[in-house]
Amino acid sequence: MSDKTEVNLTGVKQSKGVWLVKVPKYLSQQWDKATEKGEVGKITIGKKQGKTEVRFSLNAELSALGAVGEKDGSLQVPRDHPFTMHTVGGQTMAVFSQNDTDEISLEGMVVHRAECRPVVNDNYMKLKKLQIKESTKPQRLSQRLERAVTVFKPVANHDFNMEYEKKKKTEGKMVRAERQLVLDMLFSAFEKHQYYNIKDLVDITRQPVTYLKDIMREIGTYNSKGAHKSTWELKPEYRHYQSAEEEEEMEAA
Amino acid sequence: MTSLGSSSSSSTEYTVRVPKNTSKKYNIMAFNAGDRVSCSTWTQARMERDMSARRIYGEEETTEGAAGSEFGRKQREEARRKKFGIVTREFKVEDQPWILKVNGKAGKKFRGLKKGGVTENASYYIFTQCPDGAFEAFPVHGWYNFTPLAKHRTLTAEEAEEEWGRRNKVVNHFSIMLQRRLREQERGDDEEDETEKSGKRKKKGGGSKGGELRIHDLEDDLEMSSDDSDSSMGEDGESKTKVKKDTGKGKAKKKKRKSNENEALEDSDDGDYEGLEVDYMSDESSSDEEPEKGKPAKGEDLPKGIDEASESEEESEEEKQNDEETKEEEEEEEGKKTPVQMEKKKKKESSGESDSSDDSDIEGETASALFMKRTPPKRGGGRGSAGSSRTGSRPGTPSIDSASTSNTLRAAASKLEQGKRQTQGPATDSPAAKRLKMEPSSQSPVPSGKSTPQPPSGKSTPSSSDVQLTEEAVRRYLIRKPMTTKDLLKKFQTKRTGLSSEQTVNVLAQILKRLNPERKNVNDKMHFYLTE
Repeated sequence: MSDKTEVNLTGVKQSKGVWLVKVPKYLSQQWDKATEKGEVGKITIGKKQGKTEVRFSLNAELSALGAVGEKDGSLQVPRDHPFTMHTVGGQTMAVFSQNDTDEISLEGMVVHRAECRPVVNDNYMKLKKLQIKESTKPQRLSQRLERAVTVFKPVANHDFNMEYEKKKKTEGKMVRAERQLVLDMLFSAFEKHQYYNIKDLVDITRQPVTYLKDIMREIGTYNSKGAHKSTWELKPEYRHYQSAEEEEEMEAA
Repeated sequence: MTSLGSSSSSSTEYTVRVPKNTSKKYNIMAFNAGDRVSCSTWTQARMERDMSARRIYGEEETTEGAAGSEFGRKQREEARRKKFGIVTREFKVEDQPWILKVNGKAGKKFRGLKKGGVTENASYYIFTQCPDGAFEAFPVHGWYNFTPLAKHRTLTAEEAEEEWGRRNKVVNHFSIMLQRRLREQERGDDEEDETEKSGKRKKKGGGSKGGELRIHDLEDDLEMSSDDSDSSMGEDGESKTKVKKDTGKGKAKKKKRKSNENEALEDSDDGDYEGLEVDYMSDESSSDEEPEKGKPAKGEDLPKGIDEASESEEESEEEKQNDEETKEEEEEEEGKKTPVQMEKKKKKESSGESDSSDDSDIEGETASALFMKRTPPKRGGGRGSAGSSRTGSRPGTPSIDSASTSNTLRAAASKLEQGKRQTQGPATDSPAAKRLKMEPSSQSPVPSGKSTPQPPSGKSTPSSSDVQLTEEAVRRYLIRKPMTTKDLLKKFQTKRTGLSSEQTVNVLAQILKRLNPERKNVNDKMHFYLTE
């Protein structure tokens, strides 16, 4: 369990009120293109006929849909966005931030919720059309091919086969080593794991199967049933495994 | 910050900045309005991830290396999972819920679950106003809904279902949690508590009367209605004290009941009997039956005695009977713990009787037969004779030993032996004492149990004097057929071997140690056998 991070409550203490604003995706994309300074636009808060009105206007250079600098992009992102403000009714919301160093601090309380809405005009409609077209395109596409693509060609000898034969040649036949040597290898292998497949043992010891089986029959037993299906293990007199608990105890001691 | 002066509307303009280089990730912590959380009241807060889901996602760790592990197990497991298309979702720390603790240990606790799909279609930004008047917008990384965690005890799902089933009957709801707490304290059986609960509930329903046993709910309702009205007036403290009183009394009663139940349990506890060499106990009990059955038993015995003599050769029958007897004996054993004491005493009596009968050996064969039947009835060794006193169905031949000896030669001799054996063996308190001694001490040395002193007549040697408790004899028995220690003891009866029951036990134990026979469990009894 990680240590509990003490939450920095300074933000809340100062009763900093923040706004939670829902911004459309395209707008946030444009904001990502902003310069280093980060200025994206202006907010105008005014009172019109008694009602508080908030408008956001996007900076001109950011309104081009496309790379920054291309002023004559086909479409322009709408610039004018009035905010619709709501009060925080059924929820008490606070904002907390997390550092790279996993420090948590409470930034403030949400006092207003707002939605950023664009002004609906033709330009906007065209933009939306484009978006919808993009999203309705299927991710995968079935395409009819002109000419059939042949993958499996008749081959004198398959690549895979050739590799195999080469490997066999280089490694050569497995030679029977000294019995004692093999026994040593087996014992050291069984020190690491209790159950082994005969194939794995062949791999480890590089001995022909019959010879290896012979030796294994002498020092081990074959499990045909049970949890470790067709595996070999050492005979009880040859092994003295400690359970994991005992090992832990030994380590702790 | 520029301020535009317009005639109709006064508006102020602020620039909006979206800082690019923030290392901070902003998240929303949302509370339900009904919880009335006021962050300004927080003096101290701690927050951490709730990692309890990690062990669910973590694979079971088989012992790495050494015992129990397989070479290449992990790869094989993975290959298997791929083959079956099992996709295990990763455990992402980022998506784990938060645990928020406010104002230290005595404060509130909240759990914050991540809300999905927040950043998919629209982005949320946090607009904060900087000292210079400009707005700074930070994107929201995640949204967590925080709910308060209950500090009071709650019922588990099963308990809740149970209470739901009882909702029409239960009037006193305080008792539900109290019961639970008591249960946790005592850590008794859940079932016990729950059975007691119903009774207790009624008691608690008594309210001010404090624990009188109530018989019908109507009274409860009447009582409780008044109680409820009281409590509803807002005097929670009072009702609580009432409940406490009830619990106090209820507890006492509960404990009483529990002790009763415990006693009951112990009475019927089976395990106690096994080691107690109930054979001999059964002998005593059979002697118990003597006064009870009296004449009818004797009546049975007489013909049985004759039967015994005639049917001693029928080994197969006997064997069957033996099995039946063992079962019967076991059943009887189970039923009696308190009679044991009685039995012991009666064993003494019967032993006295049997001794006397031993003297008059030949003449009293029938008489001894009588005794034989009574005494060995509950021998675990399954003596035919034992069964006879209990059931007339069996021609109660005490021919267990003869059964084990398959020699037809000995059949005739076995009769005699049986007669003697039965008089000697069963109904002596010394065997009983032996058994008891064997019980604690013989855990390891005499594995297959109860070494009833029996003449080592495995092969039903004709003369009783030849019977010796030797390794050879025991070996013969064990090779022939698997036997329990009880059986073995029966073979080597004290009178025959000339050893005391204690000595027999010890010697037999030593022999068994030397032989080191193989063991198997038959009918829940440990049998020994040798294979050669």
